[in-house]
Amino acid sequence: MKTLKIRDLIKVDFAVTTEDGDSVFKTLDHHFQNGEKITLDFSEIAILTTAFLNAAIGQLYSKYTSEDISSYLKLDKISNSDLLLVKTVIQRAKEYFANKEKFEKNTGDAIYGTD
Amino acid sequence: MEFTIIKHYKFTLQKEAPYISYIPQRITSAITGYESLLRLHNDLSSAQKQEIQISFKNVVWLEANLCAILGAIIEELESRGNEVTLVDCERFHEKSDILSRNGFFKHYGVQIPTVREHKTPISYKMFKEKEAVLYNQYIQAELIDNPEFPRHSEGLGKKIKENIYELFENARTHGKCKHIHTCGQFFPTKKKLHITIVDTGDTITENVQRFLKQNLSPSECINWAMQLGNTTKEGDIPGGLGLGLIFEFINMNKGKIQIVSSNGYWELREGIVTKEDLSFSFSGTIANIEFDLSENKMYLLQQEVIDMDSIF
Repeated sequence: MKTLKIRDLIKVDFAVTTEDGDSVFKTLDHHFQNGEKITLDFSEIAILTTAFLNAAIGQLYSKYTSEDISSYLKLDKISNSDLLLVKTVIQRAKEYFANKEKFEKNTGDAIYGTD
Repeated sequence: MEFTIIKHYKFTLQKEAPYISYIPQRITSAITGYESLLRLHNDLSSAQKQEIQISFKNVVWLEANLCAILGAIIEELESRGNEVTLVDCERFHEKSDILSRNGFFKHYGVQIPTVREHKTPISYKMFKEKEAVLYNQYIQAELIDNPEFPRHSEGLGKKIKENIYELFENARTHGKCKHIHTCGQFFPTKKKLHITIVDTGDTITENVQRFLKQNLSPSECINWAMQLGNTTKEGDIPGGLGLGLIFEFINMNKGKIQIVSSNGYWELREGIVTKEDLSFSFSGTIANIEFDLSENKMYLLQQEVIDMDSIF
């Protein structure tokens, strides 16, 4: 299992912007597509925001199932308070994409009719 | 042959006198304070390619962190080709040197030497949307490494920083603005930290009404945006947590948060939410937070043990 340190990926110890989160997502996505399992190392990260986590981890749910993510991704060296924030982001991401799917289905049905 | 003699007159064009706008006597973070600043903003809303002087002649009290709002108003005026200068600054400086000490006057070309060296102000600064790294450095220097920042628990310090960054990121991504204006002030005796973040981008009203396709009032739009789980984001990156978590933390901290966007006003203070639609509108969003730095605040650590194997 390969370890990726967030601090090395984003070059700063403040994991706060959507753009930095998106760059982490793209890196994870690339490895997952190649069948590589990843440990994401949170050491030396002083501040973590939902904006970053939504883009880095929440966005994974736009493309992968919980089972896939669980199989390919592990988190390491993360404080309990930050882990709680990650859990909140994940719960929210699941709701977000479930609603999005429902919205898209309703829109599709409205335009094209139901099967 | 007739000649018509044309006399050429040399016209000396009289330069139009600058328009002077007077900042009101008292600017505080009460609703009346915001109304005063928004009225000033409204009075200048049709000014284009004019010379405008903003006068501090009448000001008796100005809550320093709110100069971020003035900065945003000036940015908007300048974007319409107006030439803006600050005047009568020395008169205000005789009553309070705070706008010299926090760098606001200096930013607009007014240099008044100050004597006191206490680092209780958090400097007024303007950041471009893509200057997140510079913002990080600013927060590090002005807040985290500031010796005047009262002693506080590690948990509280971390939470305050997270909240400030969430607000900045919210302004960047939802406001889609050119600049973000920020300023703050410590009150060591009262153990308070005030910080104001202002953007002149899309308002919460515009974003929420567009998303919900409903004509909610501006204050109701802000109220909707502050609820955990609500977001106007669409696309592959989820949202809906930032403002809601700030709301929860401020409640626990017994601090205060005020949001002004369009003519909506929303405040959370001591667990009570106040919503009001103001008489004047701001073409952007103002967020003003007051953190309580008292050590006697209990921050209940989450006792929940999170199972890493089932987190996803």
